[in-house]
Amino acid sequence: MSPLLQGLMTILIGVGGCVGYFYASNLILDKVIFPASGPKAGRNINRANAIRPWLFLLPAVLALGLYLVYPVIGSFYRSLFNRDGTEFIWFGNYITMFGDAEFRTSLVNNFLWVLVVPAAATFFGLLIAQLTDRLSWGNIAKSLIFMPMAISFVGASLIWRMVYANNPDIGVINALRVFFGADPVDLLQVAFWNNFFLMVILIWIQTGFAMVILSAALRGIPEETVEAAIIDGANPFQIFFKIKVPQIMGTIVVVWTTITILVLKVFDIVYTMTLGNFGTQILPSYMMSYMFRDDGRATAVAFVIMIIVLPVMVWNIIQARKEMR
Amino acid sequence: MFPRPIQKASPAAQITYKTLLPISLILWLLPLIAVAIFSVKPAADFTTGNYWGWPSSFEGVTNYTRVFFDSDMPRYLLNSVLITIPTVLGALALSCMTGFALGVYKFRGNFLIFFMFIAGNFVPFQILMVPVRDLTIDLGLYDTKAGLILFHVAFQTGFCTLFMRNFIRALPYELIEAARVEGVSEIKIFWYIVLPIMRPAIAALSVLIFTFIWNDYFWAVVLTQGPGAQPVTAGITSFNAQFGVAYNMLSAGSIVAALPPVLMFFLMQRHFIAGLTLGAVK
Repeated sequence: MSPLLQGLMTILIGVGGCVGYFYASNLILDKVIFPASGPKAGRNINRANAIRPWLFLLPAVLALGLYLVYPVIGSFYRSLFNRDGTEFIWFGNYITMFGDAEFRTSLVNNFLWVLVVPAAATFFGLLIAQLTDRLSWGNIAKSLIFMPMAISFVGASLIWRMVYANNPDIGVINALRVFFGADPVDLLQVAFWNNFFLMVILIWIQTGFAMVILSAALRGIPEETVEAAIIDGANPFQIFFKIKVPQIMGTIVVVWTTITILVLKVFDIVYTMTLGNFGTQILPSYMMSYMFRDDGRATAVAFVIMIIVLPVMVWNIIQARKEMR
Repeated sequence: MFPRPIQKASPAAQITYKTLLPISLILWLLPLIAVAIFSVKPAADFTTGNYWGWPSSFEGVTNYTRVFFDSDMPRYLLNSVLITIPTVLGALALSCMTGFALGVYKFRGNFLIFFMFIAGNFVPFQILMVPVRDLTIDLGLYDTKAGLILFHVAFQTGFCTLFMRNFIRALPYELIEAARVEGVSEIKIFWYIVLPIMRPAIAALSVLIFTFIWNDYFWAVVLTQGPGAQPVTAGITSFNAQFGVAYNMLSAGSIVAALPPVLMFFLMQRHFIAGLTLGAVK
């Protein structure tokens, strides 16, 4: 069991290292550099306290810098070079990319994904959260609906590949088609609509997430507001749309944006289901197809994704900042 | 109770509600049910066309034994465990510290650092792919578990810090101040006061990170190649190539690969949901 032992060692060294670093650095700061004694005790305590936060932050900031800040800059720089990184070609990669029909397809498809998936997942999540709220077995239903969330995108894609299988004996959809007298079709090759078949998978996974968050928000609504509406004679639809939804609007927006950011990054589903063929390419999988062939192009695509994510990101940071005040 | 109990609605509405809901639930779970049934069928059922009927014999034990003894699946699973657990511990250790620093201390640059962590949380990982892969190759960590762990820790710390900081900010600040007045050193405040209160956050976060890392596919494909270091998400594709059209085996493999996070989810459901809610709403 040497790999297990190795793993155990890594854990011990890693966690021990963290604790050790943190303990030792604090000790040195307090006892050696700025000792809280002698004539300058007061000033030394203040100075030690000004430095202390950085001791806590240092390891993480280093790791983040190495694996986050440097790559973002490095990526952009790399995208200005040709295929094997020998020649500086300015925005050549971007220009050829926008001329590529497949890139434009994936841009359009990505737009569809962003439009449909967050909306559908939030809608279903809200619907289920509301409907199961009044059921005795609502919690069981919720955890079952939530289960796909724990499965990886690859695992879910493999499962859905069986649902969509061309063979009417395996594929549920084609079994239904044959049952109603139609011929089986390969659903993943139906132009345009195959995009939506792939989106269904992500909606299936993300609905659980939306449901959990929104159901917590629904529970948090003060009951008096609903009570008052009932006394005023509101019907259930009015209660839902005019009383409940406005009160959880903030949470709905958070869920929506969280799923939007996710959609812009997910490539697993397209990559395992169609490899981007049959007009289902989206930006992340388009990038993967260039991964080992042309780093210049791949980083250029990555930068386009980054620019698309940026507005959502900035919005999120503004929200966080508001909350800090 | 004000959301009116369902018993008081009209009978017709009650019946539609009570029948439609279980039906839609079953439809929702149909893909999973189908895979579960496929995984216990004998291979013969697929050649004779008995796809959807009752399995002609229960071969669950044979199928699952084959997954474990006739393929690289155990290695992939072990790799996943050896990647996931150190990552969870590492990211938690780091983020407890950073969360404490950002949540408790007011200092210049606090917001800047916090901004960096949020940005890191939302940066599309695609932009990191080429540089991180090159960096990993340069460090000699390509196709090793250590390379994946190191990267995952760095990447997940962003989200974890965000989470921890918000949790610590919500704690009563008087607690820390009282300790300071008593002359407790900062390190002891962290270790004996803040860390114990953070236990629920730590539990929630560890369940969440566990599923994130276990289910990661992108970095598994980018940073590893063979059964030596590949986790199960990437390994399942080679497993599928090995068994081709043996649907019973493919199903059994999918279930084995998905089981650890699903079990984790059911056992720790409360923490999982608490984690998601805290992470998203805050």
